[in-house]
Amino acid sequence: MTARFRLRQAWIIARLEVRRLFLSRRGLWVYGLAMLPAALFLIHGIDVQYRLGQSRRGGIVQPAVVEALQTGMTEQQVIEMAGKPQEDRQWTRRKWEERVEGGRKISEQRVAPARRMIYFDGSRRVLLFFEDGLLRDINKYQILNFPEDREVFAAIFQYYYLRLAVFFGCLGVFLNLFRGEMMDKTLHFWLLAPARRGVLLAGKFLAGWMAATAIFAGGALLAFAAMLWPHMGAEGQAYWQGPGPMHAFRYALAAAAGCAGYGSLFLAASLWVRNPIIPAAVLLVWEAARSFLPSLLQKLTVLYYLESLCPVPAPLDPEMPALLRLLLAPAEPLDPWLASAGIVLFSAVVLRAAVAGVRRLQINYSTD
Amino acid sequence: MSAQEIVFENVSKFYGDVLGVNRVDLRIGPGLTAIVGPNGSGKSTLMNLMCGLIQPDRGEIRVLGISPRDPERLMRITGYATQFDAAPRWATGFDFVVSGLLLFGYSTALAERLAWAALERVGLTEAARRKVTSYSKGMRQRVRLAQAIAHDPQVLVLDEPLNGLDPVVRAETIALFRQLAAEGRHILLSSHVLHEVDSISDRVVLLANGSVIAEGNIRGVREEIRERPSQFLVRCADPARLAALLFERAPVAEVRVLEEEGALLALTRDRRAFSRVLTELAAGGVAIETVVPADENVHAVYEYLIGGSA
Amino acid sequence: MAIYRRGYQRYDGPRTSHAERLAVLARDAWRRATAQRLVAVLLAVSCIWPLLCLLFIYVANHAELWGGLDRNFASILAVDHQFILTFMKVQAVFSVILAALAGPGLVSPDLANQGLPLYFSRPVTRADYVAARTAALAGLLSLVTWVPGLVLFAVQASMAQPGWLAANWRLGAGLVAGFLLWILLVALAAVASSAWVRWRLIAGALVLGYFFVLSGIGAVVNAIFRVEWGDLINPLRASYGVWCALLGAPMPSGLTLPMSLGALALMGVLLALVVERRLRPVEVVS
Repeated sequence: MTARFRLRQAWIIARLEVRRLFLSRRGLWVYGLAMLPAALFLIHGIDVQYRLGQSRRGGIVQPAVVEALQTGMTEQQVIEMAGKPQEDRQWTRRKWEERVEGGRKISEQRVAPARRMIYFDGSRRVLLFFEDGLLRDINKYQILNFPEDREVFAAIFQYYYLRLAVFFGCLGVFLNLFRGEMMDKTLHFWLLAPARRGVLLAGKFLAGWMAATAIFAGGALLAFAAMLWPHMGAEGQAYWQGPGPMHAFRYALAAAAGCAGYGSLFLAASLWVRNPIIPAAVLLVWEAARSFLPSLLQKLTVLYYLESLCPVPAPLDPEMPALLRLLLAPAEPLDPWLASAGIVLFSAVVLRAAVAGVRRLQINYSTD
Repeated sequence: MSAQEIVFENVSKFYGDVLGVNRVDLRIGPGLTAIVGPNGSGKSTLMNLMCGLIQPDRGEIRVLGISPRDPERLMRITGYATQFDAAPRWATGFDFVVSGLLLFGYSTALAERLAWAALERVGLTEAARRKVTSYSKGMRQRVRLAQAIAHDPQVLVLDEPLNGLDPVVRAETIALFRQLAAEGRHILLSSHVLHEVDSISDRVVLLANGSVIAEGNIRGVREEIRERPSQFLVRCADPARLAALLFERAPVAEVRVLEEEGALLALTRDRRAFSRVLTELAAGGVAIETVVPADENVHAVYEYLIGGSA
Repeated sequence: MAIYRRGYQRYDGPRTSHAERLAVLARDAWRRATAQRLVAVLLAVSCIWPLLCLLFIYVANHAELWGGLDRNFASILAVDHQFILTFMKVQAVFSVILAALAGPGLVSPDLANQGLPLYFSRPVTRADYVAARTAALAGLLSLVTWVPGLVLFAVQASMAQPGWLAANWRLGAGLVAGFLLWILLVALAAVASSAWVRWRLIAGALVLGYFFVLSGIGAVVNAIFRVEWGDLINPLRASYGVWCALLGAPMPSGLTLPMSLGALALMGVLLALVVERRLRPVEVVS
């Protein structure tokens, strides 16, 4: 048999398997994991467009006027400067106040008038809070904030896609390749094919990788597009004509590399270990602790290579305790091409170990 | 090792602490061979070992000179219809057979042609476009058989291939096995339906508790069971008189005049002497219509060798 | 001549009490869970963090060891609600992994092997079965949660200045109550997962996914919509809100006690519904 023939066999196996993986009812949750951020970004986009339209219809005040507003101003002064607000709500609130009388503290309840006015300056929504007729608080926020949305996407991609969705998705997809068929009692059909076990493994891995990459890279790109959609004015156009396409490519590449890295690990684990959930849990903890590991050990995590492929570094978790922040020692990211080569090499080594596992694989259809 | 035989040399297989097969030595030539034994005797284990689905803990197996560890070569010449009653959920009967054939490197057109031919041989063309999961048990059995024979293998391994088949299909399938065997292939089938095994094959491997109890053609095996007297059914005009004559002249252990008219059952430990006496009696004028060995079949051999231990 | 009619007669001798029968199921589940070697390994691994915390308590209570240190750093070395919360968060992760490993083995095999009709043909109800399995798992999870937590608390109380216990008893009570709530949720999730998928491996992965993926989804909702209610989707975060309230710590931003309790109650009801729907004594013929 020639190497060409074996490659063809692997391709046929992959083609047959990929159909099963895409159409499997058991795998529908993987689509859910991958498409959820895209759906949420889309809902966010629709919401933003709706709020923008509503705000524009309510009238626009000059940004300079908004900047001139100061706490302590009266309601009348604000209305004279900015005009009629888009939204105006008045209510009363009960307030406890303390005063000292004859050396004793006395608490008294009184009713205080409160009011909230909302203005729009073309891009920001400005919320003004009044109490007792005086401006107490000014809250401005950008309805459409492209840099912030890009940063949100970067965080979601690294924290949700790479660490969770791709991780658990690959766990499901790649466990299903051999262990799933063992459970369905159909694995013997493959083992009875006139193909080397290594070829079978290559074909199945290829199928799993193609399916997982299509789902997760596709999901990430859809989410990227949904994030970009409300910004497709001048700002979005400029981004799309600048670094945008390369960013999209690198996100897709990182997702594909994640599928290869985690996929090869889970495939090997499913062949070598009786309960692959243990290595999966260990890997989850190992990858999560990545940032706290010494630089050398960080290079032994899949995330190190994946993060090097990402175009925008993810922001740190703002709630991380100060003591833990002190322990962080992020390693220098790799060049994207080196990171890609690293993942390919890593996957190849793991798959080589998986080949040894698949050679000793025996049919055992007892209930697992 | 012979490149024309299926050879098991001192093969043992354990599932943890449970014995699968123990020190099996076998040489199986072309033709139809039945593996017979009670449930759990190791029939399927032997077949799975032969096709590489499981690996032996000890010993060596060669199928026409090829190791089961080399599926690339082995499965080109081998077809295995397993007992596992499961099929891929996505596949129709036709897809199921074609997908197997594509892995042989056949073009799609050739694979489809071979698939139709195989499905036709097992009488499944009408249901070929239906999902395998919607098939009855017998149809699933047949589609597995179709996949096993589709690439025209030299060695055909069939684990309980007649299970779930209706009588008509069963007869057709048996005829198919005979035809394939007559073409010089090695056909190895397991069954516990003993009268069927009798009608299909004249060579058996008897297994019990993972060990080979006996092997060879039925008559040879029966002759080897010396502790049990051979039984002959003799039809004659006067069974009572013949019984008396047999007691007088032949080495019989027991003669039973059967209730049905004109028949007796004789048990002897010396087949040759018994035959000689019968011939003499017939020549001397005793009217003997037929003499048939009553326990020269798989069922009897099975009873004698395994019945007690099963 | 006499003819004795010997038909079926049901057993009418003495029977053990309901509680004893329940204990039989729980004992069996406990034996099955602890028989796994990996469970023992994980139990050992999950002692590492409590041991480190023990070391921390020792250092925190021996001022002479860090007397020369910067005052800001010294203020970090306090056994307070923040310390307890950090301990609880880490052990909660271990408890999830332990539940993913040991939990599905208690239910999935019974379902996969059509064993439930056998259980329910005895004087055992579905509620008994679930309660016994959950109790066994809860017992196991206790070993990595409130039991070591209480030990730490006791050690701290014995090492601290007189009066510390009286001033901080709420930390111990909150720790136990918070962990009991968490254990109930985790055990329920493990039982529901194995009732849902029946396959032990995938049920284990589902337990991990339930906690880790939901936390991710909660964070995604927060990030995209710039809200904080996404935390309610996250079981660990919602529990964290309750723990803060129980320990007297400031509530995390965006969460209130009723919201956290409501979210946890909703999760519990949904998981219980899954158990109710899937854990039935029927034989599935495929």
